[in-house]
Amino acid sequence: MTVAAPIQPPKPEAVSSAKRRIRRADEGPARPVAGRRRAGFVMFLSILPFLVLVFLFSYFPLYGWIYSLYDYRPARGLSGSEFVGLQWFELLVGSPTQVSQIAQVMTNTLAMSFLGIATSVLPLAFAVFLNEIRSTWFKNIIQTLTTLPNFISWVLVYMIAFSMFSTTGLVNTVLLDSGLITIPMKFLDTDQNIWLTMTLWSIWKGLGWGAIMYLAAIAGIDQSLYESAKVDGAGRFQTMWYITVPQLMPTYFVLLLLSIANLLNNGMEQYYVFQNAFNRNTIQVLDLYVYNVGITGNSLSMATAISMLKSIISVILLLSVNALAKRVRGSSLI
Amino acid sequence: MQFRKVAAFVVAPVIALSALAGCGPDQEGTQPSSSAAANGEFPSEWSEEITIDVFAGLANAMGEQPGWFAKIVKDKFNMKLNIIAPNVAGGGDTLYNTRVAAGDLGDLIVTDKGKKLDELVDGGLLLDVSEYYPAMSNAAKYDEAITRLNEGKDGTYAFPTQVSSLKATDPSEGIDPTFGPFVRWDYYAELGYPEVGTLEDLLPVLKQMQDAHPTAENGKKVYGLSLFKDWDGNMMNNAKQPTTFYGYDEVGMVLAKADGSDYQSIIDDDSQYVRSLKFFYEANQMGLLDPESTTQNYDTLFSKYQNGQVLFSWWPWQGQSAFNTTENMAAGEGFMLAPVEDLKVFSYGAEPFGGKQVLAVGSEAEDPERVAAFIDWLYSPEGTYSNNSQTMGAAGPKGLTWDLNDEGKPELTEFGMKALAGGGADVPAEWGGGTYQDGASWLNTTLVLPIDTDPETGAAFSYKMWETFQEATSNPLYEDWSAKMGDAPTTMDYLRDNDKLMVAPGASFTAPADSSEIETLRNQVKAIIVQESWKMSFASSEAEFDSLLAGMQETVKGLGYDKVLEVDMANAKAQNELREEAAARS
Repeated sequence: MTVAAPIQPPKPEAVSSAKRRIRRADEGPARPVAGRRRAGFVMFLSILPFLVLVFLFSYFPLYGWIYSLYDYRPARGLSGSEFVGLQWFELLVGSPTQVSQIAQVMTNTLAMSFLGIATSVLPLAFAVFLNEIRSTWFKNIIQTLTTLPNFISWVLVYMIAFSMFSTTGLVNTVLLDSGLITIPMKFLDTDQNIWLTMTLWSIWKGLGWGAIMYLAAIAGIDQSLYESAKVDGAGRFQTMWYITVPQLMPTYFVLLLLSIANLLNNGMEQYYVFQNAFNRNTIQVLDLYVYNVGITGNSLSMATAISMLKSIISVILLLSVNALAKRVRGSSLI
Repeated sequence: MQFRKVAAFVVAPVIALSALAGCGPDQEGTQPSSSAAANGEFPSEWSEEITIDVFAGLANAMGEQPGWFAKIVKDKFNMKLNIIAPNVAGGGDTLYNTRVAAGDLGDLIVTDKGKKLDELVDGGLLLDVSEYYPAMSNAAKYDEAITRLNEGKDGTYAFPTQVSSLKATDPSEGIDPTFGPFVRWDYYAELGYPEVGTLEDLLPVLKQMQDAHPTAENGKKVYGLSLFKDWDGNMMNNAKQPTTFYGYDEVGMVLAKADGSDYQSIIDDDSQYVRSLKFFYEANQMGLLDPESTTQNYDTLFSKYQNGQVLFSWWPWQGQSAFNTTENMAAGEGFMLAPVEDLKVFSYGAEPFGGKQVLAVGSEAEDPERVAAFIDWLYSPEGTYSNNSQTMGAAGPKGLTWDLNDEGKPELTEFGMKALAGGGADVPAEWGGGTYQDGASWLNTTLVLPIDTDPETGAAFSYKMWETFQEATSNPLYEDWSAKMGDAPTTMDYLRDNDKLMVAPGASFTAPADSSEIETLRNQVKAIIVQESWKMSFASSEAEFDSLLAGMQETVKGLGYDKVLEVDMANAKAQNELREEAAARS
């Protein structure tokens, strides 16, 4: 078996590695070329499962878009369902009411995503302050207690919310018994401030968890920075502001970028459990809307068409962020 | 070594993939080639115990059927019922769709005829039980209805519910209508039986009742009206109920009068539906409407009725069955029909060809023969007595709740009186244990109407229609009501004699399947209607009510309400034609 020799003169590193290989080649016959190929093949095999996974979970689902061209009936299967062409897309843009419904859904999605991004400094601040607590056991307790809600599912969070804020819940009972109000207040059956309350719930749930990344980053800050700052006479708040915060900024920006990429993916569990007839107009985010139309409303094909909207907007978002990065940093992300 | 590891990495997703592929519907269900049923008879014993999945479209409980009904089924068929209840799971057709997409709805399926049945047959999810049909001797009595139901299908797939030997123009209800304004009669009597001209006149009466009795015995607040959302469909379900007091029933977005004289679009300003919403709105303004209405489900509400926390009910099978226990009635307490002057209560005529629901055997059924035998048993007198003993008034298993007396007439036993009319009783261990109410059939589906006659006893399956029961249960509440209502023996008699009943002849009408576009529009429109109806009921002012109504009308019209309405109007009229035919035939 022969291999074509490289036409260009070999680069210095290539030369040295070739030398090393020659030295090894002395020990056994004809190993380098076959070994390299085999090593390459083994390398390929080891990334293959991930390629398969990426294909399975990122590209294969795109096949599902075909459902938007049919009138899909689960009982009949795709082959037994009627082909309707672009009917669902026409329906989506067919009437101003339909368009305004989707506009409302997009407004909700973006509003709650941006509120989430705007409040993403809170875990950072929390981590910085938590780090300043000297008493270890107290720090651990606080960290455990704030991290714990992250592991409670949204269904249970809603149970907590319900037992506290429903018309017969704890808060209303206390208020009624103390004579402050005579009619129970409706905390859940209302569309007042729904974006805000939803944001507060997710902060309550995610604050401690979000801080973990920053705590890890803080642990990695060079202690000599603090020592020299102290020698220069910096106080605690000054070290926090001039050392800890700037050192955390790279981590913060990476996380911020990731959360922008997930702008439309603000999940649906939270909104699904909190939704009711009174707040549906303002709580319905894109994922929830797709669920309500497709699964609850039994129009799977229509829901597929709507969900394709998400991909289109995501691609637009990606391209615009990329263009921005190109202009600002001089290099593109993709 | 390394290669093996790598190989494992490669193989893992392949295994995962093939496992996923294994989830797909397996169209070639295996059928037992030889069965006893082929000889025209089911086996009398089943050696192997099985648990069947029952997709029960009307069930209000989920899990394994407990108690005495489970015991009977176990003894007869060596079989346990695992009830899958979309009503409990919530989310409309979610459960139905996911199970259908997986290719296996259940061993026994209770679903709607028409669109759902047709698509299940087309999709190969139901089993043709022609093979077992000759052995189904109890079902054979309703052969005409079964044949008609399976018309145009290549085999015998579905079995009708609510069959009887009654005429189409006879009410399918026995002594109580399906709908009606029922109030706490004892409180109503306290007020000196005030006159109630029409629906809205009930509000001041309820207000006085609530003011006089602000808390129930358990210390909880009493409300005039309490609603629930579980059954919302084309519209807010609870808001449809008052429209039935005036002879209307829903056909999609249309309210059609039983005699075919009026068809209303529900969202019109002057429709009966909007009138109901206004009724709720006014009740809320007066503090009569339970604020928990928006969150509670049927079960929670039912226990509120049991505790006397609610003063009004639009169904006898809700208010009366929860609160009218022997003890309460002996004390003169209970729900009775209010004499609203302009009543014209809608009554479902008996359907010679069966009601809306059908039973079927799933194509993946583990032991289809046994499921078929079970369905057949549900048509038998024994099955009818047992299966309909939840709210439909059938007497329950012979020997436990009732027996023939010395004169050969059926009579409730002491236990039966306690269990059925006395607020419940504990079932003896040899009958399965637990409380009687909990052990009743969870199917909540009537195959043979309990008001039909049992050929063995010559009396109805429903104990409420037995002379022995009516004599035994005379009580102060009932006597007081009867005296006020011109000595009417039962609610149905009162309504019929006073021309306050409107029977819609049983036509076994099934609306044709919507086109894909109409169906999608309908689903969008109904979600908006339900959502806005709740908001209107709890509106803070008249102006808000009106603006919500106008907003709803505009939104649904923008979404294509008119197209849906057109379809429903045509359906409503087609239904009426069938009703007229059925009436002429009987």
